[in-house]
Amino acid sequence: MVHEAARRPITEIHHPSNAALDSERPLLSVQGLSIRFDGAPKDVNVVDDVSFSVRKGKTLCIVGESGCGKSVTSLALMGLLPTPPARIVAGSATFDGQNLLTLTERERADLRGDRMAMIFQEPMTSLNPAFTIGDQIAEGIVRHRKVSKAEAMERALDMLKKVRIPAPEKRLRAYPHEMSGGMRQRVMIAMALANDPELLIADEPTTALDVTIQAQILTLIKRLQEETGTAMILITHDLGVVAEVADEVAVMYAGHVVESGPVEAIFEDPQHPYTIGLMGSVPSLGRRQGRLATIRGTVPPAELMPKGCRFTPRCPFSDARCGNELPPLGEIRPGHLARCWYAPVEQKRGAAA
Amino acid sequence: MSVMATTGDIILEGVDLKKHFGSGGLLSSPTVVRAVDGVSLDIRRGETFAIVGESGCGKSTLGRLLLRLIEPTAGDVRYEGRSILKLSKGELRRLRRELQIIFQDPYASLNPRMNVGDIIAEPIWLHNLASGSAKRDRVADLMRTVGLLPTHADRYPHEFSGGQRQRIGIARALAGDPKLIVGDEPVSALDVSIQAQIINLLEDLKDRFGLTLVIVAHDLAVIRHMSDRVAVMYLGEIMELSETDALFDNPLHPYTQALLAAIPIPSPSSRQPKALLQGDVPSPAAPPSGCRFHTRCPHARPVCKEQHPALEAAPDGRRVACHFWREIQGAGAGSISAPPPSAALAKRLALYQTWRERQDKPVATSS
Repeated sequence: MVHEAARRPITEIHHPSNAALDSERPLLSVQGLSIRFDGAPKDVNVVDDVSFSVRKGKTLCIVGESGCGKSVTSLALMGLLPTPPARIVAGSATFDGQNLLTLTERERADLRGDRMAMIFQEPMTSLNPAFTIGDQIAEGIVRHRKVSKAEAMERALDMLKKVRIPAPEKRLRAYPHEMSGGMRQRVMIAMALANDPELLIADEPTTALDVTIQAQILTLIKRLQEETGTAMILITHDLGVVAEVADEVAVMYAGHVVESGPVEAIFEDPQHPYTIGLMGSVPSLGRRQGRLATIRGTVPPAELMPKGCRFTPRCPFSDARCGNELPPLGEIRPGHLARCWYAPVEQKRGAAA
Repeated sequence: MSVMATTGDIILEGVDLKKHFGSGGLLSSPTVVRAVDGVSLDIRRGETFAIVGESGCGKSTLGRLLLRLIEPTAGDVRYEGRSILKLSKGELRRLRRELQIIFQDPYASLNPRMNVGDIIAEPIWLHNLASGSAKRDRVADLMRTVGLLPTHADRYPHEFSGGQRQRIGIARALAGDPKLIVGDEPVSALDVSIQAQIINLLEDLKDRFGLTLVIVAHDLAVIRHMSDRVAVMYLGEIMELSETDALFDNPLHPYTQALLAAIPIPSPSSRQPKALLQGDVPSPAAPPSGCRFHTRCPHARPVCKEQHPALEAAPDGRRVACHFWREIQGAGAGSISAPPPSAALAKRLALYQTWRERQDKPVATSS
């Protein structure tokens, strides 16, 4: 870890006060991950030099808007990215000592759904409409454990109880269409957790749900995480959700991690202009305070992507240097990194009139 | 904002509106979905009125009923004091100019085979407002108004991003000089940064053209930011109707309280365990007896199961449909308090805004 840190800044978080935690290796450490899509312009990676890590029992939130590469990153970690068109061109993802990106397909399949599991946004399209809930949960258990079908069904029933589905015996024999969106998402969670994974990747798990159901699901995920010690990567665009569940945050914009750090640092001391603009774009729940801050324009298409910082065309603070030279992920404070030439902005951009 | 809304001046009024959708019949017994079930409300001229609720509560159906895009099963809609249900075809067409709608999915609501100029021009020729070069000027003008480049008039909807498509939908809604626009989840399909652009645009346009806005939405933060008054719906009925700030500061109905409590608060330092609403929304085809919320209500008592509560008057012109709102109100649940941004964030946001304004100056309409 020490020599890695010397090679490039990483989002590893140090807690000087807690030596025991500090010595613990992260469960998953992604370093310099770059992914390219065939046909994209030269040198424009859809995910570029992305690094982050997650510890056991902790939650990392990857936040960003559509097209920022957050879902592509998670699919790459799960080995679910189709090649072609997607190609991993650089980087490593170390999961408990082994590099996920160099495993054979067979080894990955053994890992997937067992030690690593994933929850998707749309529970209806991720469940097979032709099989009962029980069959679908049991399938994953039989694949990874030496158990009979009956034992697997027993385990499936336990899982339904664990995710607090009412009348679980009845639900075991129900088909996905017989359940509401919130219940289906609970089934997805039961499926993902059936083999006690060490890492859970949740891609927008509550985006399709109503706000009262979202609150139920988030509370459930948090409680199960406390019970099992599962590490989680939660991908979302909702800053409210991030504030509720994250320990660490990585903010992504157009394939780059532009800022990362502990959740308090990101919300109380945001550094990157994109993070600041994003926070200004969200209406406050308090009394109205004038107009919303906005971020100008939209994400540029790949062929117009600037060589340097990809936020340049939309950033109010940017100048010619930003578009040509990619700023490094500089350390603002130990563990809090921002990829901006002018962070903190009040020092480097405050005086200019 | 609320200065313009004088209490007496009602522009649009729904009277005991009902919309029941029937289904089944051939092999199964017919089920009737009571999407909207006895809703009365007044919309004041110049205000932004929000209708909020979870999926299946009937908020979109109500929005469409108010414009007579669908016919009500019972009840009446009055625009400027006149019922719009008995209008002739010609009169209805004239009415359509004044009452417009913006849809949630900007892509599905634009004809993919028409270029943007024609899409925006369509209401203009339909209503014979202009022709020839005057029409083209009007289209260019509308495109500038919503922040699109007039030179893009010959492009097709697929060439635009989601936010730009929503701008096209807004330009089209504006083309007939409307008095009132219903926005059916106008920003919920958009990314956060784009959402903020569209919210600001709608507010600017409202001021500039003196519009009345009816916003149908599920995002309570957006509603608090945009609206003057809010109606909270649950299973086809209004549970609470109130001025926005009063509703958020002191929600009276237990459902409103639960909705507010469920919003994730964007401040990691104020995390706290929440009193959560249990269970799902019951099917609108078989709504619970009595108060429709009693199956999920933490305060429910036997009478709630039997008696249907009326939407009764509460102080400050508020209305609430709950037998026990006076007692529940005292329970202290629900009012939402988002801590102000940290000093560092506030400082940087102010700086961001300053530079952001400067960024806009060279080119008036950016995206």
